[in-house]
Amino acid sequence: MATNALRAQVAAKWQESFGRLNHGEPGISGLIALSEAWNLATDVLRPYNINSMSPPPVYSMDKVRAAFELINTCRRLPVLLEAFVDDLHKHQSWITDDVKEHMAQYEDTLRFQETSDPDIIQKLVYRLAEWYKAWAPMPELGHIVTSTYILTFQTHIFSILPPSFAKGIKSLVAATLEHTSSEPSSHLHPSIWPAFETLGLIERYENLIASVGYEHIESYVLDTCTEKWDEPMLGDLRDWMADRIVPWMIMPYARGATSADEARSMMQGVGSRFDFHMHKTLCDLRTKEIFDIIVDHPDSAGALQDLKECLQRVDQRAELVQSLRSANQRRLLHPGADTKDILAQYVSTIRCLRVIDPPGVLLFKVADPIRKYLRDRPDTIRCIVASLVGDEESGDSLVDDNEPIQPLQQPEVEDYTDPEWNPEPVDAGPEFRANKTSDIISTLVSIYDSKDLFIKELQVLLAQRLLIIKDGNYDKERRNIEILKIRFGEAALQVCEVMLRDMTDSRRIDQHVQSQKTSCVHPTIISQHFWPTLESSDISMPGQLKELQENYAKEFSTFKPDKRLRWLSHLGRVHLELELEDRKVEADVTPLEAAFIELFSEKDVWTLDELISRVGPINRNMASKALATWVDMGVLKEDEENIFRLLEIAEEPTSGSQAPIIRTAPPVEELPPVMSVQQQQAEQMKVYWKFIEGMLTNLGSLSLDRIQTMLKFAPGYDRTIDQLGSFMEGAKREGLVTFKDGMWKLGR
Amino acid sequence: MEQVTSSLAPPRASTKPATSGPSSEGAGSVTKRLSNELMTLMMSSSPGISAFPKSDANLFEWIGTIEGPAGTIYAGLAFRIAISFPPNYPYVAPSIKFDTPCYHPNVDITSGAICLDILQDKWSAVYSVQTILISLQSLLGEPNNQSPLNADAAGLWKSPDAFKDQLMKHYRPLNDDSA
Repeated sequence: MATNALRAQVAAKWQESFGRLNHGEPGISGLIALSEAWNLATDVLRPYNINSMSPPPVYSMDKVRAAFELINTCRRLPVLLEAFVDDLHKHQSWITDDVKEHMAQYEDTLRFQETSDPDIIQKLVYRLAEWYKAWAPMPELGHIVTSTYILTFQTHIFSILPPSFAKGIKSLVAATLEHTSSEPSSHLHPSIWPAFETLGLIERYENLIASVGYEHIESYVLDTCTEKWDEPMLGDLRDWMADRIVPWMIMPYARGATSADEARSMMQGVGSRFDFHMHKTLCDLRTKEIFDIIVDHPDSAGALQDLKECLQRVDQRAELVQSLRSANQRRLLHPGADTKDILAQYVSTIRCLRVIDPPGVLLFKVADPIRKYLRDRPDTIRCIVASLVGDEESGDSLVDDNEPIQPLQQPEVEDYTDPEWNPEPVDAGPEFRANKTSDIISTLVSIYDSKDLFIKELQVLLAQRLLIIKDGNYDKERRNIEILKIRFGEAALQVCEVMLRDMTDSRRIDQHVQSQKTSCVHPTIISQHFWPTLESSDISMPGQLKELQENYAKEFSTFKPDKRLRWLSHLGRVHLELELEDRKVEADVTPLEAAFIELFSEKDVWTLDELISRVGPINRNMASKALATWVDMGVLKEDEENIFRLLEIAEEPTSGSQAPIIRTAPPVEELPPVMSVQQQQAEQMKVYWKFIEGMLTNLGSLSLDRIQTMLKFAPGYDRTIDQLGSFMEGAKREGLVTFKDGMWKLGR
Repeated sequence: MEQVTSSLAPPRASTKPATSGPSSEGAGSVTKRLSNELMTLMMSSSPGISAFPKSDANLFEWIGTIEGPAGTIYAGLAFRIAISFPPNYPYVAPSIKFDTPCYHPNVDITSGAICLDILQDKWSAVYSVQTILISLQSLLGEPNNQSPLNADAAGLWKSPDAFKDQLMKHYRPLNDDSA
């Protein structure tokens, strides 16, 4: 039940409200005026369908302004805005339909074509811009109205646009980019950007627009630069950025700029981001290609220059190292790769990374696995040494001929008084040693801890080469030795010097001996202690060959009474002239072959075993091979297996018998049997085995550690425990030792 | 502070001579001679004799192995001997005894002591471990019954079967793990 007081209160409120609406006009005329103003205002603001034919009525601006003024004074503006927003909501379905129609069309094209067609999206954007313009309240109504309108409109649009619109807008933006980068095409209106702006699409899709820019740069860089290494590309890319990308960037990023300066400052941030992206893309590309770039060196100098500049802009040194290391691991450091190729690639890597990073930090990081791997390869030293002496067979030498020959550099202590001194680069590892300008050879030699190994291998190689030389022309070897002396020092090559002198001395001695008593033997006399171990063999020459040797030795001992010749009968060549009944055969053969045919002058038929017993302890295979040479020449015939007969009268190949097998006629000249360093090591291991045998005989079973320490009694023992371990494993396989509970024991 | 350092220093000084063993002067040349002998012994392949230093720390104590020469009563048996070199080796003979009990006219069955002229008054610096081992090996087959250490064995020498019985009664085959 309403009390009187309440009633009075309601009445008072009523009066007050009425007074406000009537704004003090007599009667209800004020109320009527307000009502008219309201009607006018809502009419003006009411959204109309731009699809309908009738154009919206035109209102006089003054009236409208007066009406709004009136509403404002009656404090009904908020209510009006509410009504306006309500109206907007009521009519949004028109836009929704429009958008749906366009998007359906767009999605259809998406479904049927691979590429999205930006045209439909463009139409939709213009359409939306039209809706926006049509519904927009007059700007004179104040910013509250405008901002309310924008908020409501955009909220609605964004809520109804399907996710595929983002894709559409992306292709549309991309189209604008292509439009600037290719010939201007007519169908894209430049006013698309203002339309974007109007609809607030730029802000909303800013990331998307930027990503279009990034993608465009990326694809351009990849298109133009992939596998183009011969010249630097960065300059061209920068020009392209300035010519193509910057004009495009002005539209989204520098809109509304009034002057060029303003535009520049507006674009600074995004511009540098794009620039960075360009560098990064190129850097990534080159990082990915680095292995092949190095392979192509020196034809890829341009790419290296680019990479160097990019790395200064983009800090991706670690990625570069990672990429190169894994590429090396995958493509280089596996058993299928030739040591020569690995070395060549290593040398190229050194050269390339010096260009990119002169202090050598990158090189150090990349080189480490290569060096480790090379250290494990058995023929690395041989390859390096072969390239040192410029072996023709090895094709192009690792060493640049233009590089001055200089002594090997030792890792030197840093000279802090040097005014050019710089601290180590920040990303240098703890083991990093600045190898400032060391040349390639020094770097290669430093793979191994000591250069002694090289000297040894050098001696072996030299021995082989000297023994092949037949014409007595040692100039080339002498030249090599002189070059190597500069590198390794005089003392290290003394042995080589002796070897060379042996060769010339041999000739001199031979001349002297020949002058006393001519002989057809021309030995090479070598000093056993200075030459690498030559493969030994105990064959003894039979018949007249032996006589020749003995006569020569006699002459020699009168000439040099303090020296004694020890023949290495199996080395060298023998030129023979065989007088058979019907023909003469001339041949240049190995000593073993000569020895065999000499024996046939005693009797015509020999068995293989008889022949071997006369010559000395030789391998059956070697013997058969030597006899096969004569069989090929038609001098001998193998009547039955292992029984050979001298053909005093040449045998015509009988028509029935199979045609003579054509063998590779001149036997492949084998390298003189100088023991390689490896074989020498195996030889040493035989000595150590004696010690191991001795200790196991007397001390019973021993652990590997114990054997290793006990081996210090063996002179010159320098193997690691791992090497010993693998040696013992080998001995175990041969049944020489047994292994149980960590203890080694002699197998009996 | 001083106490700590002074207490640390002496033991280090005192342990040194103990490990180095023989007197320092001349020890260098003796070790050199011994390692040369070891090298020669290892490289010469005399069948049935062998010796090696007991540990890598001391070159003066060796262990040797002698196999009985074929055709003698000791054939097929192996004897372990201990060789101890004096600091003034090779001017003084090394002391040698059998570790494996050896029933032999010139060997003491319990102590393993050997009665061999070149190990006593006939010793000369030109002898080496190898010559000693060869002498010992031949001594097994040809004992000197004139000056027996083991009179029983000297008496039984003429009757091989009884001798062999005694020999096998005392003999202990080598046990590799014992070393």
